[in-house]
Amino acid sequence: MFVRETGLSVRFGVYLLLGLALLLIDARYTALSGLRAALGAGLHPLRAALSSPADWMRQVSGFLVTHGELKQSNLRLTLEHNRLIALQQDRSALAAENAHLRALLGLRAPAGAKPIPAEILQSSADPFSRKVILDRGGNQGIQAGWPVMDAQGLIGQVTHVSPLSAEVTLLTAKEQSAPVMNQRNGLRVVVSGLGSDSLMEVRFLDMHADLKPGDMLHTSGLDGLYPAGIPVARVLRTETPRNTPFARAWCAPLAGMGQYRHVLVLKPGFVKP
Amino acid sequence: MNGLSDKPLLPQGAELAAPPTLLKVYGSLTLALAMNLLPWPDDALWLAPDFTLMLLLYWHIHAPRYAGLGTAFFFGLITDVARGVLLGLDTLAYCTAAFFVLSLRLRLVNFDAPRQALQIAPILLTKEALVLGLGLALGRAADADWRWLASGVVAALLWAPLAMLVDRLTGRPSYPIQNRL
Repeated sequence: MFVRETGLSVRFGVYLLLGLALLLIDARYTALSGLRAALGAGLHPLRAALSSPADWMRQVSGFLVTHGELKQSNLRLTLEHNRLIALQQDRSALAAENAHLRALLGLRAPAGAKPIPAEILQSSADPFSRKVILDRGGNQGIQAGWPVMDAQGLIGQVTHVSPLSAEVTLLTAKEQSAPVMNQRNGLRVVVSGLGSDSLMEVRFLDMHADLKPGDMLHTSGLDGLYPAGIPVARVLRTETPRNTPFARAWCAPLAGMGQYRHVLVLKPGFVKP
Repeated sequence: MNGLSDKPLLPQGAELAAPPTLLKVYGSLTLALAMNLLPWPDDALWLAPDFTLMLLLYWHIHAPRYAGLGTAFFFGLITDVARGVLLGLDTLAYCTAAFFVLSLRLRLVNFDAPRQALQIAPILLTKEALVLGLGLALGRAADADWRWLASGVVAALLWAPLAMLVDRLTGRPSYPIQNRL
């Protein structure tokens, strides 16, 4: 006659245990990536729909440019195009020569990479690190762990993949770091994010290390994750040690963190075990 | 004269004409989720209130039959995926907030939205603190951005306007039933 339903506190207890189990499983194992990918695929249409008004606005404002501007930019682009072709010829000659010399020395070729272009849909609201969502995912062959860059430099790496979107953790997030090499003298250091878009640091630097303001840091390729030679940061200033045995250096990331909408996801040239 | 005898057994007037329905509850929750997913500017992301949680709590108060702990669990899971944090982080926080509101429900329905805001504010703040604390304790994150607590304050400030807006849109009378008697 009377329907007794389970008490609120009991139900809360059950959900609490379920939530804690989810947390522990997701923190320690990768068993839940299927669930995450499925829910992420369900969210994708909502995300795409929400970013479309901004796209329309861009299209409309792009339509309203004057003839003069078009002509000017056409001229500039033609010049730039010619310059790039000249550079490209130079570069391919150099690359051929380099390959030849490497073959002569019996060196292994560096891990090459194939770029997949992608567009940033939005920044993700994560209080613990800086992430962006891309409009390409598992269907385009993207896998977690692949590096991401823009035209200026390294941006970060893919951390989660669902069929139609991928989540990229930025290199400027707090716990992220990348092995780099000073272009001037080949000094190898590790540059780490600070949670700011415009500042990174080199921690635990040798007191007498030869690192000067203006030095360019490129990836060294030592971790087998980031291919060698991607520009990462420019050294702003170095700090002499006061109470610690280590110096540190402040750097500015070269990639336009939080500025551009188009990025390249790099397919590593080797297969991860 | 006690208020109990004056209170009608069935809802009267506008509330009877426009009761909360499944469509209203889940439609508004989906809209709130979309608000959270809007491309907010990066610098203002930590100020953006959690609309999903606010709508959830609203429906916990006014339509507990349609929005119970299970609903909170489900939307928490979706929020986890959308924000890209550990699965279960927002889920636990949403369930905890839902538990408090559902236990206090009989008291909360008797207040109008601004007075509710005072009692909901600690719950909204607790949720943000819970997400940050749990993430620190369990996650691989070295440090949390404590500015995100501010979104709880913004949510508390927005509670009254949001509740009144949803009242207006769903046709629920804004004032508590007892004030009318």
